[in-house]
Amino acid sequence: MKRTLTVLSYVFIIGMSIITLFPFIYMILASLMTFQEATSIPPTLIPSNWEFQNYSTALQKAPFARYFFNTVLVATVSTIGTLFTTILASFAFVKLNFKGKKALLTALVALLMVPYEVVVFSNYQTIAQLGLMNTYTSLIVPSMASVFYIFYLNSFLEAMPISYYNVAKVTGASDLEFIFKVMVPLSKPALFTMSILSFIGGWNSFIWPVLVTNVPEMRLLGNGLSAFATESGTDVHLQMAASTITIVPILILYFIFRKQIIRGVVKSGIKG
Amino acid sequence: MIEIENLRKVYDNKYEALKSINLTINNSELVCLLGPSGCGKTTILNIIAGLLDPTSGDIKFDGKSIIGMHPKDRDIGLVFQNYALYPHMSVIDNIMFPLVVGSNKLPKAEAKKRAQEYMKITKIESLEDKKPGTMSGGQQQRVAITRALVQNPKILLLDEPLSNLDARLRLQIREEIRSLVKRINITTIFVTHDQEEALSISDRIVLMDQGIVQQFDRPQNLYLEPANLFVAKFMGNPIINTFEMLKQDNTLVSQDFSLDLKKFDKDRFKCDLDGDKFIVGIRPEYFVLSHTPLFKTKVTVKELIGKDCILNFEVNNQAAKIIVDTNSNIEEGQELAISVEYENIYLFNLEGKRIY
Repeated sequence: MKRTLTVLSYVFIIGMSIITLFPFIYMILASLMTFQEATSIPPTLIPSNWEFQNYSTALQKAPFARYFFNTVLVATVSTIGTLFTTILASFAFVKLNFKGKKALLTALVALLMVPYEVVVFSNYQTIAQLGLMNTYTSLIVPSMASVFYIFYLNSFLEAMPISYYNVAKVTGASDLEFIFKVMVPLSKPALFTMSILSFIGGWNSFIWPVLVTNVPEMRLLGNGLSAFATESGTDVHLQMAASTITIVPILILYFIFRKQIIRGVVKSGIKG
Repeated sequence: MIEIENLRKVYDNKYEALKSINLTINNSELVCLLGPSGCGKTTILNIIAGLLDPTSGDIKFDGKSIIGMHPKDRDIGLVFQNYALYPHMSVIDNIMFPLVVGSNKLPKAEAKKRAQEYMKITKIESLEDKKPGTMSGGQQQRVAITRALVQNPKILLLDEPLSNLDARLRLQIREEIRSLVKRINITTIFVTHDQEEALSISDRIVLMDQGIVQQFDRPQNLYLEPANLFVAKFMGNPIINTFEMLKQDNTLVSQDFSLDLKKFDKDRFKCDLDGDKFIVGIRPEYFVLSHTPLFKTKVTVKELIGKDCILNFEVNNQAAKIIVDTNSNIEEGQELAISVEYENIYLFNLEGKRIY
């Protein structure tokens, strides 16, 4: 009985893994096929020849280098910005006492409940009326603060003894000195997880760049890829090659930091 | 000199932690704030340190009010119960920390020299490059004290500094603390809930309960001359025996024994015996075994503590204790003939005020 259960659960797990992984593996396989193989019915699984030139062709057809540059820039700067605002906000919430702290926290919790798609409209209006369409500012600034990460860091900082802060206060250290000499070094694990999740979030962002950019040189990988899919029409094998290229860096990042990422996701229950 | 005047603190949740505290602490005195948990002792310390603001009242250092002043300007060193050493810094960096932050920061080399001087005083030179996590509780404690002293403060505040140490180390460190603060001649306020700790190291003790100073006195007076019933009950181990007795003419009577008021020393009465009900306090060591006993009873439980042992018995239908020499070889169930040393009895009225 116990054995059958074990076998069944293995079958289930393996089945689910195949379903989850198949699109990804097929993307890589299809990126190495000829046009005929990629579009044939019944579909080809293994290409007869590895068509590596698909990659160089795809790279020539759209400015992917530019997309890469934009994506790295936007993801990095917004991650740094998020770190900065989150550290300052969490410090204030956890270590300081000020009037209206509870009300402010409640308001932030309420914001956490508002779906991103709702915020997108008002943000779009703001950016459009400020005349910031097609700028890096419009891509970066809206993601420079995150309620989710503030709560994530709050829970981490609450575990830090308040006497650490009191020592700093009595010895005459300023709040900023405390933050950068004590709090930040001691929160490294949390900040690290936050940075990776935020960077991945920036890398994968799609709706926002689609809305605020309409010239090719401001596109990020996400909307660049989707534009390429439209412009290249039916070149499925080239689209797959392009998709693979955009995913590889984040995949490498994931394999290097998978421990931190999983810890972050498990601890928070949601991916940022 | 530290003067605390009418200090009162009500927390946001309406809890009145301090009710009008008045204290004067002299320069280079070592004073303990002692009391059960929740009595307000740590609140006083935090107000002196500036980590809390009082609801009303004043604190003066050398005649100058420090209320509203930032903690860093108060010239104090503070040691926390959990030491609060920064775990990512080595010992020397922890000790240098106060010297390399804020508006009066020293150049790094000078700060290091000064930190090393103080490490010599507290004898922790060998720990210089260790991280707090790799050290024993006693070593961490010394580092925390050194960090508190490195700015050469006028006042040293210690918040339950020994409660995280094991019993043997506690004895050793408390002696070290006393000799250290006496050597560098610094005014020290020490918070503890452990009477033995307070009795052994303080010049004077502030015994507190429910936000009120119950007695502020030299250690031995707290024990020998308690101001009220709370003090008598708090100080001393095992706890003092108390009996409710009725005054009838010149005797105090209870169910099983009575005390002759004529044998009491007249000079020790603090006021007249008004009323007819009193609480008599007799410490376990002032019950004596006697051939002319006040009452006879049986040993219920015997607790050996070393040279002496504690015998539990019942009198007036309540549990009581007596301390006798272990050599007396009294066993459980044996009969006891007990008398009392009249000169060491305390009398309280029903409100707990000391009468005799």
